[in-house]
Amino acid sequence: MRKPAVIKLALPAGDIRGPVAERLEAAGLHVEGYGEGSRSYRLSLPDRDEVTVRVFREKDIPVQVALGSYDLGVCNLAWVAEMRARFPEQPIVSVRDLGIGRCGIYAASAQGVSGLADLSSLAVVRMASDYPNLADAFAAAARFPAYRVQAIWGAAEAYPPEDADVVVVAVADERVLRERGLVPLLRLLESSAWLIANADSLAKKDLSSVLGPLVAGASEGAGASGLRLPTPLPAAGRRARRPPERLVIRMALPDGHQQRHVVEALSAAGLEFEGYDMSRTERRPVSPLAGLEIKVIRPQDMPQLVATGEIDLAVTGRDCLLEHLYRFPSSPVEEIQDLQRGQYNLSAVVSEELPVSTIGEALDLWRSQGKTSIRIASEYPGLADHYARSRHLWRYQIIPIAGASEGYVPEDAELLIEGTETGRTLAENGLKAIDLLFRSTTCLIARKGAALSGQRREVFDELVAALRRSAEAVEPV
Amino acid sequence: MNRSMRCRGMRDMLPPEMRRFRRIEEAFREVCQGWGYDEVRTPTIEQLHLFTSAGTLSPQTLGRVYSFLDWDGWSGERVVLRPDSTIPTARLYVEAMQEARWAKLFYTQNVFRFAQGDESREGSQCGVELIGDTEPEGDVELILMGCETLRRLGLEPELRLSDPGILRAVLARAGFEVAEQLALSGRILDGDIAALDEIQERLPDTGVSLRALLASEGEGVPYLNNLRSALLPTIPEMEKPLDELTAVVTILTDSGHRPRISPALVRDFEYYTGPVFHFLVGERTVGGGGRYDALISLVGDLSRPASGFALEVDLLMELLPGEGSEGVFEVAIRPASEGTADLVATFRLASALREGDRSVTVAGSGDGRAAWQVVAAADGFALSGDGGAGRRLASVDEVVRAIAEASRD
Repeated sequence: MRKPAVIKLALPAGDIRGPVAERLEAAGLHVEGYGEGSRSYRLSLPDRDEVTVRVFREKDIPVQVALGSYDLGVCNLAWVAEMRARFPEQPIVSVRDLGIGRCGIYAASAQGVSGLADLSSLAVVRMASDYPNLADAFAAAARFPAYRVQAIWGAAEAYPPEDADVVVVAVADERVLRERGLVPLLRLLESSAWLIANADSLAKKDLSSVLGPLVAGASEGAGASGLRLPTPLPAAGRRARRPPERLVIRMALPDGHQQRHVVEALSAAGLEFEGYDMSRTERRPVSPLAGLEIKVIRPQDMPQLVATGEIDLAVTGRDCLLEHLYRFPSSPVEEIQDLQRGQYNLSAVVSEELPVSTIGEALDLWRSQGKTSIRIASEYPGLADHYARSRHLWRYQIIPIAGASEGYVPEDAELLIEGTETGRTLAENGLKAIDLLFRSTTCLIARKGAALSGQRREVFDELVAALRRSAEAVEPV
Repeated sequence: MNRSMRCRGMRDMLPPEMRRFRRIEEAFREVCQGWGYDEVRTPTIEQLHLFTSAGTLSPQTLGRVYSFLDWDGWSGERVVLRPDSTIPTARLYVEAMQEARWAKLFYTQNVFRFAQGDESREGSQCGVELIGDTEPEGDVELILMGCETLRRLGLEPELRLSDPGILRAVLARAGFEVAEQLALSGRILDGDIAALDEIQERLPDTGVSLRALLASEGEGVPYLNNLRSALLPTIPEMEKPLDELTAVVTILTDSGHRPRISPALVRDFEYYTGPVFHFLVGERTVGGGGRYDALISLVGDLSRPASGFALEVDLLMELLPGEGSEGVFEVAIRPASEGTADLVATFRLASALREGDRSVTVAGSGDGRAAWQVVAAADGFALSGDGGAGRRLASVDEVVRAIAEASRD
């Protein structure tokens, strides 16, 4: 009997793992090791040899399916729309609404904006979104005379009004948006998790053993809705924005895995902010210091906000700072204090099965195997690019990803540039580090030559001094 | 090698193509200089906001620009590989030349727009921008310049003229919003005649068939007069575009041209404010332009009328006949041996001939195509070929003199 062709399925990491695992189980597809709390990225179906499963960030799944690296995938339709907004011809078919993770993609502003027409008078509309292509399509359709889209990693709701005029954001519904202090301008898309397929695979390959059970299962979905974009705004007299004189120091603190290290550092410096501790993450914690305003955002997005002067001081990782500086060497951001906490390594990572222990040996091996281009997957495309150039990788391809890089090697990339704290996840996924790029710790960043005076200067100096003392108290790493 | 090292959609130009390219560029340059225009060049990279704020690129075109964050991109400002040369030239005028009441500028440069598959993503344009109050004589001048360039290249151009104000007036009178107007004009351009019926339904008082009047082309002033008499009573907003177009068409017709009129001609419906024109060779539109009086004010705070046109060099290159090699030399010189003395003799002769502006070839091939062939040695020069006649001469001066005398004969 002829062996069936391998079906490659891409499943999402993150909070949606649980409901997707349930939906797969209900369809009779048991993916061993997939579900809530799992850290495995390379999985299989015990009773179906023909199916291989990899786990990716939802955002990366449409890219993998469009490339043909995977035949089928499960992800929120918003990520398909995000890719199509920039690459409309990609061969992706949205097959079935799985009715999970229902949400809306909204364009929203801060309180005080009554509608889209209010924006037409701005000289430059500042937008922030983790859906930058949708934000771009929105701005182009609205015919904003000039606009700037900041591609961010998350926490978009924290940006208006100081750091953005419009955000494009995914939320359950308008009520949630209003609870977060935002005014909906337009719902761009009604979205939920879908089964998607590569068009070519669907046309030529027998996918029925996975497709059948998932399509046959009862759908709770409402079907696809198209992307809605605004009609052109009427031309209005533009007013140049004059930023109000700032009287406070604006400081950014990170959420995510760095938060606990930063809370410790702040605590050692005698600083406590209500709403930012080991258990709580409010976007705007309350500062006990007069003249200090705090905002909690993704650490990856901080260097740019510091460069443009929106934020005076930020606590982020050196990895995020170097990623920014490698991409934009003329950026005026600098590290002003190493906080000596949250250390982890930025390393070049390959499959454990590769019989090499250095990058040089790996390159020799790949070349002997006839590989003409080395694929490097990383959340840090700037660092990866710098690494590839400095190590003379000759022809290489950077695959920018949103995370969950462990699933890429060896099928979809030869090399990862990856941050590792303990090395446990690497080992669990059959990977090993062969080259250390640098050790990253949490650090304090600011804008070079920022003109500060009066109370702003005092608060800035006081914060830096307190955090410096806190860092000096830590055993050097 | 099964994978090209060339980027997708980008082209190499080989010597025959470069010869055609230069021929087009030279013809265009001579015409522009003859009409009193000055050449400029703008940067390959421009700020993206220049194009969004000018509102001249549709969202579809904006979605196809090569935009990226460059090394200064930390501010979030994106840059583009220029998708068009008119807007950069308008910027150049606003920033560096606005004191001049008129600016008559031309350029030959490349533009970049993403295309699917292997379609070309880089093209070259020969463009002209006429800034300042010149209506209608400026429009006519531009049209004549385009026609003259094409004729110099041995091509016979046909002219299509229009004024987007005609269709805009109809759509506005029918009560369509701007977005609907754009969609309907796009459909008409795509040949969807049903769009005209939808417009007609909103204009019950018109009394004449829009389909009959606007779906086909007409000829010159008589057709414009028919539009005027049939539509002006119910759509008075048409008067200005019809007047402007009639002025241009009258001058062209009286100068021996036979322009055809298409009520819908250009997709950049929002961009053009007055007469527009296309140059066709056979069935192919090889260039076009028109009046865009709002452009300068959108780029800078300055009101100045403007118009211009561009010829698509890549299309013209396809239409020009193939040309033979230009690598024809007067004298091919070959050293008698690899010895230093013979090589010195070779290059002494080559330098002397070049001082006299003779074309020579020493290294590589080409000697078979030369009228004179010389074998150079330290003790003298052996001549052969059409002009050589098996002579042997002792010095460089003698060879130079012999070639000069033979050329005079």
